[in-house]
Amino acid sequence: MGNIRPQDMGKPVEQLAKIDKLMPLPAPYDKPGMEPEFTEPKEAWKETYCTSLDGFVANETLVRPQTKEEEEAFVQKFLSGLEKLFSDETNRNYLQPFMLSFEYCAKCNTCSEACHVFKSSGEQEIYRPIFRSEVLRKIVKKHFKGEGFWSRFTGGDIDINFETIFRLGELAYRCNLCRRCAQTCPLGLDNGLLAREIRKLFSMEMGIAPKPLHEKGSMLQLKTGSSTGITKEAFLDMIEFMEEDIYERTGKKYKIPVDKKGADILLTHNAGEYLAWPENPAAFAIIFEEAGLDWTLSSDMIGYDNVNYGLFYDDAQSRKIGLAQLKAAKDLGVRRIVVGECGHAHKAAMVAIDRAMVGEDNIPRESFLPLLADLIKKNVFKLDPRRNNFPVTLHDPCNVVRMMGIVQPQREIIKAVAPQFREMYPNGAKNFCCGGGSGFAIMKSFNFPEFRNKISSRMKFKQILEAFQPEMEQDVPKYVCAPCSNCKGAIRDILEYYQATAKFNVHYGGLVELVVNAMVQFDKPFLEFLDEDAFEHLK
Amino acid sequence: MFLTVFAYFSVVAFIGLSLYKAYQFAKMPMHGRWELYPVPKEPDGKGHYGGSYYEDLEWWNKPRRVSHVGEIIDMLKEMLFIKNLFVNQRRQWWLSYAMHLGIYLLGLWTVMLFVGAITELSTGVSLATAQGVNSSLWTTIVYYVTLIAGGLGAILMAIGSFCLFLKRLFNSTFAKYTTLEEYFNLLFLFAVVASGIVVWSGDPGFNYGRDIARAMLTFSPIKAGTALTVHILLLGAVMIYIPQTKMSHYVGKYFSFHKVLWDNEPNLRNSQMEQIVKEAISYKPKASWSAPHINPAAASQDKK
Repeated sequence: MGNIRPQDMGKPVEQLAKIDKLMPLPAPYDKPGMEPEFTEPKEAWKETYCTSLDGFVANETLVRPQTKEEEEAFVQKFLSGLEKLFSDETNRNYLQPFMLSFEYCAKCNTCSEACHVFKSSGEQEIYRPIFRSEVLRKIVKKHFKGEGFWSRFTGGDIDINFETIFRLGELAYRCNLCRRCAQTCPLGLDNGLLAREIRKLFSMEMGIAPKPLHEKGSMLQLKTGSSTGITKEAFLDMIEFMEEDIYERTGKKYKIPVDKKGADILLTHNAGEYLAWPENPAAFAIIFEEAGLDWTLSSDMIGYDNVNYGLFYDDAQSRKIGLAQLKAAKDLGVRRIVVGECGHAHKAAMVAIDRAMVGEDNIPRESFLPLLADLIKKNVFKLDPRRNNFPVTLHDPCNVVRMMGIVQPQREIIKAVAPQFREMYPNGAKNFCCGGGSGFAIMKSFNFPEFRNKISSRMKFKQILEAFQPEMEQDVPKYVCAPCSNCKGAIRDILEYYQATAKFNVHYGGLVELVVNAMVQFDKPFLEFLDEDAFEHLK
Repeated sequence: MFLTVFAYFSVVAFIGLSLYKAYQFAKMPMHGRWELYPVPKEPDGKGHYGGSYYEDLEWWNKPRRVSHVGEIIDMLKEMLFIKNLFVNQRRQWWLSYAMHLGIYLLGLWTVMLFVGAITELSTGVSLATAQGVNSSLWTTIVYYVTLIAGGLGAILMAIGSFCLFLKRLFNSTFAKYTTLEEYFNLLFLFAVVASGIVVWSGDPGFNYGRDIARAMLTFSPIKAGTALTVHILLLGAVMIYIPQTKMSHYVGKYFSFHKVLWDNEPNLRNSQMEQIVKEAISYKPKASWSAPHINPAAASQDKK
């Protein structure tokens, strides 16, 4: 269906938008056959899930009702939630920013040019940031003002039917909530916030949220202590394993402190790191021990997993987890919490929960970045940047840069350890999202990874290719440094999807790994893709 | 006398409704932090590149510093030049800025009309006569500033509002998202300025404007022909109308920038913010959401 308008959201067509002409990629991905084509959604999905938007299914709990009555109940439930979004009783935390963004959009389309999803998709209308917002506005105006002329006059010209609401629920998960659109808005309005408010309505009123975020995410975290399902016992086993692993990698024995009462620092990690990238918490342990810091990890309930998926979709879940994380720190009696390489954990722990606690519960929280930059500046470590003598580029996690203003420390660190560092453009607070933001990196249901790899992560892949353009097709290793677990997951997936590692020797990883790799006391490279022989001549 | 009363009423309505709108936003509950960088009040150049106090080691032990100058400069750039639109969407800026600059100039024109009227009332001499502009320096300045601000303002606003209307009508992307109300708003603004231009064409020195200002200051009847009556009625109507629509974004913009995007005040122990937070978290809402993980009772009720 070409030339789509917000009013078309309820139209009885099998699939509202068909995504085909994507933003071109630079060399060597500018030739045909360099990337897999989209696959069609399976017929069986169409009966149960929402394939009627663009053919992708992000939310497996958004299920098509079986009867007309159920459809009607679904719509009514949505409308009752809609009223709660506008109430100062039920939406206390976001009412003011929500109302501002809802009321004042001038539809100047400045936001569209800033949106990586819209641009990457070849400017598909349904991904235009104001498309989703306008659907919401039209529903609201129709619902609150009725069918008459004034409703249509102000924009309430949409059919509030099941398909409209169903598609809107799916469309809320086509935005990374990176808020780059808001950065360019002349009126300071935020389409990202509106997308999140729609997600929130579905979750908090209708109990509908993607399983990786809710059921297997925040609910599992509240039950077991971690969204990975890692229990305290499993966590302690992992730490033992990590100590052995570090010994094998470095030849040095470290005792990792756990549950050390009254320590200066409680270091928190995204627990997914222990499973997917254990070298990252290991590098942190090496750095903190080598620096002689008084630190600890927590094995207390939720104390060992700093993720807070509530940030992506649900205020109540966000608050519950945030407060539980602070409790773990308070129980240990630490002076401060230091957040490791996880962008959304940065924002959740330091910003989002900031206005929810007082007094003794208000433990100071900081990013690892200024701490590490300070240690390097003070020459606490003996570093040889030649050990990282290969092209390195830096991805700025949105939650750390655009939403918290931490821009320079990571640059000071990387410049000290990587002589061939080069920026992506744009970067810093104006960066592009990795495409895995707002939970996309962990949402792997049905064909949603195709949306992520080919559309939402496309701009990031383009930036990576551009950053490495002189050496892209040469066989030298190239490293995308992504100091965020979520971003790292998204970048891992695009490098794999486009076979960039296999074909062009492009690797990815965190920032602390680069620092440990530059430490002169270790004989072997810490980064596994490096050739040990290359280190020999440095001795 | 009706026109004098109406003129006063529309000014009072514009100010009163705008303040009421601001009050409605101001009384909303304390919201969670939702800032976005660059935040211009961050000092030491951080406001420029998008840095914040979170870049400092143990930031909570450092004195909290805010660059009010940085904030004011950014605010002025946005207010006077619509900087964000200029930087991010130049094509739209030309039209939008023409209209906004026209409004600003007409604001200045209004002030100058009153300055002229006060001058005339206090000296008993008209700024302009059949022989030309009064020869004193002050009256010459007042006369020509009024003339330039009014003339340029009217032309820019007319071009801006009408071209924006045409763009919304004929650009397919804009047309998709434009409501009837938005077309009407632009036409309404154009109608006001067009009726003003008609009146101006018969009195290029804006003497009619000073007559109105004088009538308002002395609370005497405004003498107006048909064209001027229509213009005054349209102008008054638009002033009453604007604060009730999203054209009141001059109010919204203050809150969206100052109270949302640039508000990164941390909740430090024993700070004023901590007191505000304490009060906010002590509030017990009387209603709740219904999903099973929030309100199991409501969810089971729904199932029945």
